[in-house]
Amino acid sequence: MAYSRVHANVREYDVFARKARVEPLRQVGSVVAPDDDLAMAYARATYDEERWVEMMIVPRDAVIRLWGPGESET
Amino acid sequence: MRDAEWCIAAPSLEADIAAAAMGLDDIGHSRVLYGSLRELGTADGPDEGAYSNVPYLDRSWTDWTQFVAANAVLDSAFSIMIEALVNGNVEVLRSRLKKMLQEERYHYLHGRSWMREAKAAGAIEQAWREALEWFGPEGADVDGFKREGKLAYSVVDLRRMLQERVGERFPDPAIDWTRWDGARRRTVPGGIDRATLDMLQGLAEKRYMPASG
Repeated sequence: MAYSRVHANVREYDVFARKARVEPLRQVGSVVAPDDDLAMAYARATYDEERWVEMMIVPRDAVIRLWGPGESET
Repeated sequence: MRDAEWCIAAPSLEADIAAAAMGLDDIGHSRVLYGSLRELGTADGPDEGAYSNVPYLDRSWTDWTQFVAANAVLDSAFSIMIEALVNGNVEVLRSRLKKMLQEERYHYLHGRSWMREAKAAGAIEQAWREALEWFGPEGADVDGFKREGKLAYSVVDLRRMLQERVGERFPDPAIDWTRWDGARRRTVPGGIDRATLDMLQGLAEKRYMPASG
């Protein structure tokens, strides 16, 4: 039966989590998926090894970078 | 168990990991359910010799669309039944099964997304039919439990909720309820193969255990 082995159109999502309320969220990894549903399922399945109190995903293309390593702030 | 067979065969690495994780979740769910059965003091206790499953699980899946249909339809049917128990009046089940629903939410998201992609219509129709057989006919045990308050939903409710969750409209399959086995909740004979059953019961692993003493 025909299906595409990898999705035709995908987005990258960064995964953020923390183990305690007092900790800041930190990036724990990323997933690639065609939509938010699958990105949530993949993030939870892939990064479930810790007892996180919070996990969230952000589409990478929604992040606005001000500057990066080695770039000038101004 | 069938999920786990796809942990190195799914269409992407993320799907491999998700298949393994969902398989582990479901094994955990069966342990909770068996534990609850013991606590409820069922008449005979869980009888491993009378293992039952929907026909969909009798044999290993050979196509990813079968995984998707099981994930989207049968897993959803299971979740809805668990929801009916969580909202019913049996206290042990109300408190114990809630975490399952949280985990099953991610199984649903996985199934729903892949269903949009995988063109699994044939497999979904079969899974749909078997889910309805698993719920059983109207006026049978499930509706009896609904009247007693043990289950929050009737057979008609369960069918409607599954339809809403799957999102597609299917014609009602012609199910011959005279052939329905009320204990095994299916209309066709057969069952899971011996090797898989041994693995499920831990018999296969026992061969690798060091001799005690």
